[in-house]
Amino acid sequence: MASSLMVDLQGVRFGWNRQTPVLDIPRLQIERGSRVFLYGPSGCGKSTLLGLLGGVLMAGEGVVRIMETDLTPLSAARRDQFRADHIGFVFQQFNLIPYLSIVDNVLLPCRFSERRRQRARAQSPSLEAEARRLLAQLGLDRRYERRSVTELSIGQQQRVAAARALIGSPPLLIADEPTSALDEDSRGAFLELLFQECEREAATLVFVSHDQSLRPLFSQSLSFLELNRAAARQEG
Amino acid sequence: MALWSLAVKSLRNRRQTALLTVLSIAVSVCLLLGVEKVRHEVRAQFLNTVSGTDLVVGARSGSINLLLYTVFRIGDATNNISWNSYQEFANHPQVSWSIPLSLGDSHRGYRVLGTSNAYFEHLRYGGGHSLRLQEGRVFTELYDVVLGAEVARQLNYQLGDQIIVAHGGGQVSFVHHDDQPFTVVGILAPTGTPVDRTLHVSLEAIEAIHVGWHSGMPSRRVSAEQLAKMDLTPKTITGFMVGLKSKVATFQLQRQINEYRREPLSAIMPGVALQQLWSLIGVAEKALLVVSALVVVSGLIGMMTNLLSSLNERRREMAILRSIGARPWQIAALLMSESLALTFAGLILGLALLYGGLLAAQPWIASQFGFYLSLGLPGPGDWLLMGAVLLAGLLAGLVPAAKAYRQSLVDGLTPRI
Repeated sequence: MASSLMVDLQGVRFGWNRQTPVLDIPRLQIERGSRVFLYGPSGCGKSTLLGLLGGVLMAGEGVVRIMETDLTPLSAARRDQFRADHIGFVFQQFNLIPYLSIVDNVLLPCRFSERRRQRARAQSPSLEAEARRLLAQLGLDRRYERRSVTELSIGQQQRVAAARALIGSPPLLIADEPTSALDEDSRGAFLELLFQECEREAATLVFVSHDQSLRPLFSQSLSFLELNRAAARQEG
Repeated sequence: MALWSLAVKSLRNRRQTALLTVLSIAVSVCLLLGVEKVRHEVRAQFLNTVSGTDLVVGARSGSINLLLYTVFRIGDATNNISWNSYQEFANHPQVSWSIPLSLGDSHRGYRVLGTSNAYFEHLRYGGGHSLRLQEGRVFTELYDVVLGAEVARQLNYQLGDQIIVAHGGGQVSFVHHDDQPFTVVGILAPTGTPVDRTLHVSLEAIEAIHVGWHSGMPSRRVSAEQLAKMDLTPKTITGFMVGLKSKVATFQLQRQINEYRREPLSAIMPGVALQQLWSLIGVAEKALLVVSALVVVSGLIGMMTNLLSSLNERRREMAILRSIGARPWQIAALLMSESLALTFAGLILGLALLYGGLLAAQPWIASQFGFYLSLGLPGPGDWLLMGAVLLAGLLAGLVPAAKAYRQSLVDGLTPRI
């Protein structure tokens, strides 16, 4: 039944030195297609977990499995390629490359992943058309295209970032505090669009935030403090 | 290819600093290639100071010394040679033409050369150009003088001006041939050779102004009527140049002259002596090239500094690229591409500056210095230099690339800003 799991962490320990691990997660499982809220205040090893899931960091012990692929034995290059092919990221702020146009920003993953390029092309006649389709779904029509990304509002920038994370339909979407820089109105609108698109692309969404008020919007909710024994120890 | 277009777009975004970097590289490249070009041309010009002349003959001395006083008119002859010896070799069956040279007087620091009209007919420079009169004619009368281009320009002489020749070769002379002024009858076109700095008179004139002189001082004045009745054939000259009917005879005649029994003579092949002289003074041109190469290095260090200092503000951008799946080496390659693009643009702009500058300055240089800078395509030396600049640009790019690599490994997806 492992095939129903998108993320499967077992006995994962990570530390910059052996005595004090930053991360000690006995078990974390996320179902395919689920929409998970991962609650975590800053400084609890959250970015370390994202690094492990993205294959940028390597666990000292344990198994980090994403879609049946154990990342631990893979080479750094293979992990980078795996991330390019299967994971879309949205960060808190400054998600966009300032010197690229909006469409080029959205198309960026296709430069690094053949798989996502092919999938994007399967959806639309051209890569650009697919980028525009996603942007339009997220409420950014062609009127905005001429603008430099730095001229967009933060809410619009986050939507471009979401389009970029979604292009080529990666099965896993990791959003790290994507709404914390938004005001309440645009936060709601952004989340709605994000959920809608994840559903359409059948992507699993892992949403990391310290904002407890968002918890009810998700199908599953996990607390980082409970997951991570290292954080719990530090707290205690 | 993806990285290359990213690099170009990233540079376009920082176009102000990128442009300045390109400009500084371009100026240094222009300087480097310009120096290389001038070096090349100066060398060619120097080695062709005399061409077509097979042997230069003077009193027995070292070849460079002989070359210096006959061709460059620097320094003095160790001794004179007799007119009879000159005649003997001038009428040698192998000799096609000869130019007698008589030095020793000067005019305001410029040497006065006594010679014959064969000088204007046979002397060649810069790969076969013959002397050309810009104004007037060659000397025919006793007190006619033909000026080199620089003499006329610097001293602002025109046709018809009267000139007093000083005894001896110094800048300041106290003994003048002021009873026998010369008239400017011709001005030569610039050649870029010592001819430009010479005043030419006939051998007879040299003889005439020294009639009645003893031990370098005038002892009695001679009137024009007396001179007209005199035989003004010189008894001695400083040296002569020889053109042979066949080059094959060069070594043979050289040996004959060097072994001449009646008088100790030296014959040199000017091309060989010029080579020897160049190897002495050519160090300066190498120094010039080294200096301009250092300017290129400083331009590239400027580029390196720019890229390095931009890296901190680009940590976010690197993290984004990493999250999308870029590998650390791709981040490094992005930086390498940027330095390559900057260096390449600098090269192209530098070439454009050089050729534009050459095109603009060429007529002026040719008229002022008789120095013709050719506009030809870059030679093998130039390509080598450009290749070296590109390579140096890549090497300079390694430093920011290595830093970006390390930075992206440390930062991962979350830059520590």
